[in-house]
Amino acid sequence: MLKQIVAVTAINLKSIPRRFWLSLSTVVAVALVVMVLLSFLAMSAGFRRTLASSGAADVAIVLRAGARAELNSVIARDQVRLLEDAPGVARDAQGKPLASAELYLVVDGIKKTTGTKANLPLRGIGESGAAIRKGIRLTEGRMFAPGSNEVVVGKSLLREFQGFELGRTVKFGTALWTVVGVFEADGSVFESEIWADLPVVQSLFNRPNTFQILRARLSGPDGLAAMKAFNDGDPRLKLDVKSEQDYFSEQSSQTSDLIQKLGWPLAIAMAFGAMAGALNTMYSSVASRSVEIATLRAIGFGGFPAFVGTLVESLLLAGIGGVIGAVATWLIFDGFSASTLGASFTQVVFSFRLTPALIGQGVALALIVGLIGGLLPAIRAARMPIVQGLQG
Amino acid sequence: MNDFLLVRKNLFRKKLRAILMIVSILIAFAIFGVLAAFERAFNAGEDVSEADRLVVVNKINFTQPLPIAYFNRIAAVEGVRQVTFANWFGGYYQDPKNFVIVMAVEPETYLKVTGTDFAFTPEMTQAFVRNRTGTLVGRALAEKWGWKVGDRIPISSSIFSQKNGTHTWDVTIVGIFDKNKPQADTNLMFIQYPYFDETRSFGKDTIGWLVLKTASSAVNDQVIKTIDQMFANSSWETATDTEKAFNKAFVAQLGNIALIVTLVVGAAFVTILMIVGNTMVMAIRERTREIAVLKTLGFSGARVLRLVLGETLLLAVIGGTLGLGLATLATLLMRQSLSMFVPGLRMSPEIVLTAVGFMILLGLATGLVPALNAFRLKIVEAMGRG
Repeated sequence: MLKQIVAVTAINLKSIPRRFWLSLSTVVAVALVVMVLLSFLAMSAGFRRTLASSGAADVAIVLRAGARAELNSVIARDQVRLLEDAPGVARDAQGKPLASAELYLVVDGIKKTTGTKANLPLRGIGESGAAIRKGIRLTEGRMFAPGSNEVVVGKSLLREFQGFELGRTVKFGTALWTVVGVFEADGSVFESEIWADLPVVQSLFNRPNTFQILRARLSGPDGLAAMKAFNDGDPRLKLDVKSEQDYFSEQSSQTSDLIQKLGWPLAIAMAFGAMAGALNTMYSSVASRSVEIATLRAIGFGGFPAFVGTLVESLLLAGIGGVIGAVATWLIFDGFSASTLGASFTQVVFSFRLTPALIGQGVALALIVGLIGGLLPAIRAARMPIVQGLQG
Repeated sequence: MNDFLLVRKNLFRKKLRAILMIVSILIAFAIFGVLAAFERAFNAGEDVSEADRLVVVNKINFTQPLPIAYFNRIAAVEGVRQVTFANWFGGYYQDPKNFVIVMAVEPETYLKVTGTDFAFTPEMTQAFVRNRTGTLVGRALAEKWGWKVGDRIPISSSIFSQKNGTHTWDVTIVGIFDKNKPQADTNLMFIQYPYFDETRSFGKDTIGWLVLKTASSAVNDQVIKTIDQMFANSSWETATDTEKAFNKAFVAQLGNIALIVTLVVGAAFVTILMIVGNTMVMAIRERTREIAVLKTLGFSGARVLRLVLGETLLLAVIGGTLGLGLATLATLLMRQSLSMFVPGLRMSPEIVLTAVGFMILLGLATGLVPALNAFRLKIVEAMGRG
């Protein structure tokens, strides 16, 4: 039996060149389906990763109740003072709280690829603003000097938008700022931001004594609970306190869900089209070999080897298509840099990420197309009446 | 027996094969229809915009404020016919998740400047101008929450708070308005700027942006230059642009939607073209002898060519029409649930026309090779073959 299966399968595969164009169209169709699916999934995964790596579990973020995004939030000066001394906030060697009150403004930049205006975040950060966040490293230049109109820019921002090279002067309104450094931040959203000294931003943007968010390093695992309890207990506060990790994962789910919700239905619809193609290919494969199959049956081969042979051919064609699609997506899109509007109304730069798990999903979809597309023709091959088959 | 009957019988002689091909074409056109509808909806702002309307925003970015004094100064600029302003409210209803588009507007002028987009009746205009805590609600928004004229509703802001500390403003619905243009979206509401400005705890006397109508689109460039020069080197510089350019730039910020749509639709069509094209070549080759018989009976080469092309055209039109029908159904179903992200999702006549064009192209492209083969077929050779 096994011998028969091997023999019939070999005949099937060796006869593929006879149906070269038809088989090729199945392979290409499946490859295109897998490409569409994987490019959407890679986009979604890349966006999610960027936001996921932005949020630290041991950093608390404080926003106005109901604000939901940094851009909307407003906090008063006395609230900042109270929170800096709140229980749960870590302190540095000198005993100063590791907290940074920040201002989050939107400024215009020009996107390199399209030449159109885009919203970029300008963040005024406190003295310990960089120290609170993990993985901030200056790759070029130096940090801005306190009190000066100098900025440092994230490396993704530098890559996607015009005019932020080291040493360049940028103009926001009437004020001129000098780029003195470029930083990286473990691929997080902070790499799409411009940072400057908080008091300078407040004065040059006509926002004296205004704060929007407070970030604080937590003293320990129960730091967040302590800070929340303090906030809820003081009627002057009543703000939203959450871990930075939770804040960013809320933001990432909206956009990446939307991308996935678009990607899967599209891919499944296209898969049906490809399946119709696979069915056609396999039916004609069976039809063109009907004499052969009948002859084999007449000399004592069973129906099952014919079934397996046809199914293997279909799975092989779809599998090749799936692999080609995955490789093509990887070559074209892996690491592809893109940007879109994030929850704070500013551009978030992210890279497409094609993970092995996603490739697995793509190839699985291809094999499902091959399986279903081969099943009915395989059954027909197995059941073919010998006499009718021999007549051709 | 006419040619159409022959075409139809030929197409469905192998029912399963015909159905499979129709299904693949159907899917390609369904994808095209839905994605094209999405793209149109994303760019609806561009369609709604009018040639003589300009938008003035802060030069730093449109989220930065401008002083209210600019309202009178811009009104005095030569070539400006009407001007109004608005402020983004960052609204939500009851829960921050229930995002609502609320704008605090200068009551009298705003309704005039946007009167071409929305159907404001004289009664609701009067009621809105007179009632400080009044609000005008778009039809789509009112239907979503079941609001009626006369209802008093609490609208909260995720940005602003009142002087007494609350984030919620109580407003009374004085009118529910419809749209004047099919592309316009009524999923929004307007409240009075004076009421909002006096009660908010910070940002007093600043506005978000100004919208103005010029005397004619011919003076647009002149007006843009005058306004931006007037405020150059002040601490609140402006960037003035046509409404169309402004909306276009905003949509571009979401990412290159048009490119994504083109790539996906392109991939779907290439797939279908190959599958159907190959299958048709094969189907015609199977019929070599028959075609030879037809030719023997006196069918001209041209007529045989027409028969084959007619078959692929029929196939494309059946599949395409069904696909468009499916796409229309899908957009109707998604319309409600996606009204927040992509308002105005609908199947427009332009999309249908484009699709019909694609059907004809697809029919001709897939039929070309087999039809030419049939056209060139020599009777003697064909009879001799298999």
